[in-house]
Amino acid sequence: MTLPSYLLRRLVGFVAVMVGISMITFALSHVVPADPAIVALGDHATDAQIEAFRERYGLNKPVPEQYWIYVTNLIHGDLGISLHTRRPVAADLRNFFPATFELSLTALILSILIGIPAGVISATARNRLPDHVVRIVSLIGGSVPIFWLGLILIGFFYGRLGWLPGGARIDKFIPPPPLITGLFTVDSLLAGDYKAFWSSVHHLFLPALALGYFSTAIIARMMRSSMLEVLNHQYVLAARAKGLRQGKVIWRHAARNALIPTVTTIGVTFGSLLSGAVLTETIFSWPGLGRYATSSAINLDFPAVMGVTLLAALVYTLANLIVDVGYQWLDPRIHHG
Amino acid sequence: MYPSKRNILAVLVSLAVVVLTACGGAEPTEAPGAPQATEAPATEAPAATEAPAATEAPISVENTLSISSNISDLITLDPAVVYEYSGILVTHNVYQTLVTFEGADLQTIKPSLADSWETNDAGDHWELIFKLHPGNTFASGNPITADDVVYSFSRVFALNGPPAFLFTDVAGITADSVTAVDPETVQINLPKTASPGAFLAILTNNIASVVDSKVVQENEGDDHGSTWLLDHSAGSGAYVVDHWTQEVEVLLTANPNFNGDKPALTSVLLSHVPESANQLTALQNGDADIALNLTAEQLATLGGDTTSVTGADLRLFYLGMNVAVEPLDKPEVREALRMAIDYDGIVNDLLSGNAQKVQTVIPSPMFGYNSDTPFQQDIEGAKAQLEQAGVSDVSLEMLIPDGAAPGGVQWSDLAAKLQSDWDQAGITVTIKQVTFAELLDAYRAQGAQLALLYWGPDFADPDTNVTPFTNFDAHSIAWRNSWNDPDIGAKAKGAALMTDAAEREAAYKEITEYVLHNGPYAVLYQPAALFGVRNTVQGFEWNPMGFTDFWLIVKIA
Repeated sequence: MTLPSYLLRRLVGFVAVMVGISMITFALSHVVPADPAIVALGDHATDAQIEAFRERYGLNKPVPEQYWIYVTNLIHGDLGISLHTRRPVAADLRNFFPATFELSLTALILSILIGIPAGVISATARNRLPDHVVRIVSLIGGSVPIFWLGLILIGFFYGRLGWLPGGARIDKFIPPPPLITGLFTVDSLLAGDYKAFWSSVHHLFLPALALGYFSTAIIARMMRSSMLEVLNHQYVLAARAKGLRQGKVIWRHAARNALIPTVTTIGVTFGSLLSGAVLTETIFSWPGLGRYATSSAINLDFPAVMGVTLLAALVYTLANLIVDVGYQWLDPRIHHG
Repeated sequence: MYPSKRNILAVLVSLAVVVLTACGGAEPTEAPGAPQATEAPATEAPAATEAPAATEAPISVENTLSISSNISDLITLDPAVVYEYSGILVTHNVYQTLVTFEGADLQTIKPSLADSWETNDAGDHWELIFKLHPGNTFASGNPITADDVVYSFSRVFALNGPPAFLFTDVAGITADSVTAVDPETVQINLPKTASPGAFLAILTNNIASVVDSKVVQENEGDDHGSTWLLDHSAGSGAYVVDHWTQEVEVLLTANPNFNGDKPALTSVLLSHVPESANQLTALQNGDADIALNLTAEQLATLGGDTTSVTGADLRLFYLGMNVAVEPLDKPEVREALRMAIDYDGIVNDLLSGNAQKVQTVIPSPMFGYNSDTPFQQDIEGAKAQLEQAGVSDVSLEMLIPDGAAPGGVQWSDLAAKLQSDWDQAGITVTIKQVTFAELLDAYRAQGAQLALLYWGPDFADPDTNVTPFTNFDAHSIAWRNSWNDPDIGAKAKGAALMTDAAEREAAYKEITEYVLHNGPYAVLYQPAALFGVRNTVQGFEWNPMGFTDFWLIVKIA
C-alpha cells in the first residue's frame, strides 16, 4: 500500500473518530444537571435575564437540534461562542493552545533526550551503580504527583535560590514576541529578539521539567527493558563477534531496534502530557489550554468543551499517525497493511 | 512499493506544519497575545482630538505596582456589563462615576464627576439633578459632558448585561429616564418605588461609569462598542487599559489627562497567578507588591519585608432553610437549627479568626448593620425548641458547593462541623456536595431542603440584602426558601424608601431582629478580606465593595 492511500484510509478513520467524539461530548455536556445560563449569570441574575441568555445561545432548543446547529456551524469552520469568555471558541483555542503545545513539546523533547540515553545506559550497566541510579530516579518520577513536584521545584529554584522564574511564559517586563506561531521561543527567534527568546527558554525550563518527569521515567524504563531484551538477540552477538566497537553495537544495532516499543510509549505519553498540562499550568501560571479546559468544564461552557475535545482528538490522532509512520523509519520491514 | 525515508520525512514535516498552523493561527491581527509595550494608549483612542502622550518610560519595577492575583474570573472590561471581582477592581481605576465612595468608607457619598446633586420631589417621581464639574476631560482629551453620561447609561440598557438589573429592576428606570438638561447638567427621573439613597449608592458602581461617547461610537460595531471595550478603555479614571492578555495579565498605565492628582505609580500590572503558594513566593521574593489571594495560613507566615492587611468583605455565609419542607415550616425547628450551631467554633477554629460573627442579614460596616448576635451553641435550648414543636427524628438533606469557600475554609469542612453540631441536638443532616451551578439550579427552583452558600451585596445600601432576604415577590432568597411573609416584605419596602436616616436605621433594626428569629436563615459569619503586602507599599486601602484606589498607592524605596 502506498503512503497516500494509507493516509487516506487513516483520514476516513479520523473523521469517524471526530464525529463519534463530538456526539459523545455533546451528549455528556448536556446531561449535567445544571444550567449553563445560571453559571454564566450567577446567583443574582433575574429570571428574565436567564431566559434571554438561553434564547441568545440557543440553549432552550431540544438537544438534537442544538447538536445539528453545532455540527452545521462546525462544517463552516465556526466553533461557536464560548458561554464563559463570550469570545469565539476558535479565537480562544488559537490563544491558549500554542502555550500548551510549546510546553508539552518541550517536555516531550526533554523526556526523549534524557529518557532514551538513561534507559540505554541503565541496560548496558545492568545491576551496577548507573542502573540503580536510573531505576531509583525513574521510580520516583513514576510516583510523584505533578503538583507536589511543581511546588517543590518552584520553592527551591525560584523561592530559595532565585535562579529560575516561578511561573508565566516570559518576564513581565519583557514584551512577548509578535505573534506568528504562538510559540514564544520560535516567534522570538523569528523576530530576532534574543532577550525574549532567552526569557522564554528560562521560563519553560521548570514547568517542562515538572511536566516531563513522569514521561522521562516511563521512557527510561521502557527503553531499559527493551534494550535488555534486544541485547540478548543473536544479531547483537554477531555484531560483537565481527569486531564492531561496543558503542556502535549498542547505539547502532541494539538501541535502534529497542526504540520500536519505546516509540509506542512516546506516542501514548504525548497524550498524558497534554492532560498533565492542566495541573502544571495552574501551578506555573501558564496561560494554556489545560486551564481553559478546566474552567470550561466548571462553567458548563459546552462550546468551549467541545472545541477543546475536538482539538485534543486532532492532536492525539496526529501524534499516533506520526508514531505509526515513525515505525517504518526505524524498521523498514514494517509496512502499513 | 513502500515510501522512502525522504517521503516519510516530508510527511512528518508537513504534519508539523499542520499542527503549528492549527495552533498558531497565522493571523497576527488583534489576538490578545499581541505585543505589550508597543501598544501605547495613544493608539487606542483613535478618535481623540488631542491624543494623550504615549507613556514616557517603559514599565519597570520602580514605576509599577505589581499585583499577583487570580484573575481567571475576568470576562470583560466594559463597565456597562462587568460584574466580576477582577473586572470591578480594574474598571474602578479606569472609569469615573458621578458620585463615589472614598477609601474604605461605604456610608458617605462623595462628589466625583458631579460637583453637586439634589433630589427634588416631582409628585409622582423623584428628580435627581447632577451638576458636572466643568473642565473635566477623558483620557482622550475630549471634554466630559452630560451627553456622555446619557450615552453611557443608555449602553447599560441596550446591552442588558448581568448588572443591568440594578438600573432596570432595583431603580426601575429606563433609557428615557436619563436626560441632558445642558452640557453640564444631567437629570434622572426616578420612580417613587425606588429609594433615592439606594440609587445614589448604585451610581457609585461600575455600571454607572461614564464612557467617552466619541471614542466608543467610533468603535461601536454592532454591540454598542462592547467588543472593543472588552480590552480597551475610554474613561477618565487615573489609569487607562494598556492591554489585557487572557489568563496572563492586565496592564494599566497612568492617564496623562487625569482630572485628579497624578498617580505616583505610572503603571499597575495585575498578573494572573492562580496558585496562592506562588503568590506568596512572588510576594516574598519582591516580584509582587501585593498578593490578593493568600490563605490564612500563608498570611500567618508573613513578616520581615511583608505584612498582612485586613479589609472588609461584605459577603454573608448563611444556611437557607426551605420552609416548604417539613418540619422546617415550624419556626421552632428553624430556631433549633440556629441554636445548635457553634458559631464561635466556626469563626475561631475553622476560620482561624479571619471572620466576624454576624447573625443578621445586613453585613458590617453597611448602613443598618445590626451587631446583635444572640445565638451561640445551646444544645439543651435546641432540644427544647424541638420538643415544643412536637417533632422528633428530624432528618434533612443539605446542599453544599464543592471546593473552597471564600474566606479560606473548605465547604465540606464547614458542612461537617454543622452536621456534628446538629447531631448533638438530635437533628440528622445528610450532606450532598454538588457543583455551585447544580446548587444554584436546585436552590433557584425552591428545590433545596437546606442550602449552604453566601450572598454578596450588589450596591452599598442595606436594601441590596434586605429585599432579597425578606421579599417573597422579589423572587430571590426569600422565594427560594419558600418564605412568604407579606408583612415583613412590606416593611422592607417601606424602609428602603425612607429618607430620614434615624428613622431608617430604626426600621432596619426592627426588620433584622424579626428575620433573626423568624426567617428561614442561619447567618453564620462574615469573612475578612485579607491581603499580603510588601512593606514598601503605602496607601493600600481596601473598599468593602471590592476595589482599591490604585492612584493613591505609593512605593517607598
